[in-house]
Amino acid sequence: MNMIMKQLNFKIVLLFLTIYVCPHRTLAQKDTLLYRTLIQDSILIPQKSQATIEEEEGIFTEVPKHYRKYDKRVHRYRSAWEALIPTHTKIQYAGGMGLLSWGIGWDYGKRGQWETDLLLGFIPRYSSRHFKMTMTLKQNFIPWSVYLGKDFSLEPLTCGLYFNTVFSDDFWTEEPDRYPHGYYGFSNRIRTHIFLGQRIRFDVPEKYRKFSKSITAFYEISSCDFYLVSAFTNSYLTPLDYLRLSFGLKFQIF
Amino acid sequence: MRKGNLLLLLLIVCFTSCEMLESHPYDAHITGERGINAKNCERIEEAMKGKKTFRFAMISDTQRWYDETEKVVEKINERGDIDFVLHGGDQSDFGATKEFLWMRDIMKGFQMPFVCVLGNHDCLGTGEDVYKAIYGNPNFAFTAGNVRFICLNTNAMEYDYSQPVPDFGFMEDELTNLPEGIEKTVFLMHVKPYEFIFNNNVARVFQEYVKQFPNVQFCLYGHEHQLTVDDLFGDGILYYQCPNIGKRTYLVFTIKEGTHEYDYEAVEF
Repeated sequence: MNMIMKQLNFKIVLLFLTIYVCPHRTLAQKDTLLYRTLIQDSILIPQKSQATIEEEEGIFTEVPKHYRKYDKRVHRYRSAWEALIPTHTKIQYAGGMGLLSWGIGWDYGKRGQWETDLLLGFIPRYSSRHFKMTMTLKQNFIPWSVYLGKDFSLEPLTCGLYFNTVFSDDFWTEEPDRYPHGYYGFSNRIRTHIFLGQRIRFDVPEKYRKFSKSITAFYEISSCDFYLVSAFTNSYLTPLDYLRLSFGLKFQIF
Repeated sequence: MRKGNLLLLLLIVCFTSCEMLESHPYDAHITGERGINAKNCERIEEAMKGKKTFRFAMISDTQRWYDETEKVVEKINERGDIDFVLHGGDQSDFGATKEFLWMRDIMKGFQMPFVCVLGNHDCLGTGEDVYKAIYGNPNFAFTAGNVRFICLNTNAMEYDYSQPVPDFGFMEDELTNLPEGIEKTVFLMHVKPYEFIFNNNVARVFQEYVKQFPNVQFCLYGHEHQLTVDDLFGDGILYYQCPNIGKRTYLVFTIKEGTHEYDYEAVEF
């Protein structure tokens, strides 16, 4: 049973990975997609001759209004779903979310100063019994962007937090029932990390653009709840013990 | 810009081997010394050979008390009369890999050999795997002079009955293969019988096994963060509890020549 569950888990993980790959392909053809969307989004009414209009006038006076309401509704429906199209992909090395993590994300805010990412990572086996997959939900805030010239921009500060979960039977969100309620008082599955970092963005000139509008390289200094509570009460631990470093790349799709 | 790129590249190269790059707090990625219990048991056996009196210290539950643990290492070293040190388990609080490495690195400061048993907190997440890699099997035994030290994993609750805890097979094996010249026995565990982490269905059975060993001096444990001495089963075998290191206390036992002669002291620092 356990074995089957593990295989199932692995399949789900594979499915996730394929979903992650998909946006790349569809969005590479984004222009045609948008074109198709525009066509589908408008209601095409066949041109009628003046005579037919006059003939029908008395009967269908309310029709255009009805169409407009429907039109708006469909438009809203489409734009709501379109907002879910990821605007970028990210790859991150280390940072307590797996040795390597990869995922999709969304930019939003007036200046695109907010970013939310959903990343899937893996932890090699090392000395433990098995290889593990992890998932991270990451919220970034990028308050400033400074244009450096020659298509380069510096984002002098990024900050935010992320939650990481491990897919493994050895971890729990709440203690299993065999323990008295709240015995350990923490979840060993969900980790909360906070981070500070910097980024440098390169806007790919239009003629060279293939998959990405811009590429951003970043580094982050982070710490997680476990390390922070340990560091607060111990002078033995130095920043090198409780701070973690990670690197990453962000590929802006549109 | 080329300079900037170069700098970034350099940074990446510099930090690739750096401890700050971590894939996960539970990644079980171990750097440095492993197999400590086996090595130190050998050292103890070598150093205590032929001795009938010796002195050892016990510390326990050092989780997230790094400063205090560093202090106790310093204090025990300063005394100069301790032959070896026992750790009663729970060196980590969350079972996170780095917690074991930090604790190991502090305890490596002991001038005398030390051994650690597995605590219930040490079992969380990948903690047990990390313990096994750094220290070895959670059930082990060693000989100091004419005394056999039986160190046991008693955290039954953490295994949910998937493994025999306490392992009577191991105890039977120890009993039948007791080395020559053993006259006394000391038991070390993390959780005492009748604490809910222990498999209490077999608490009395466990004690029956304990009593079969030659001249049981006492049993040592930690876990409850208090200093206590109890005759748990009313049979004269005392269970000494070592308080957590946050209480700034360690225990010192002096084994003497008589069959049931030993000194016991709780030292505050």
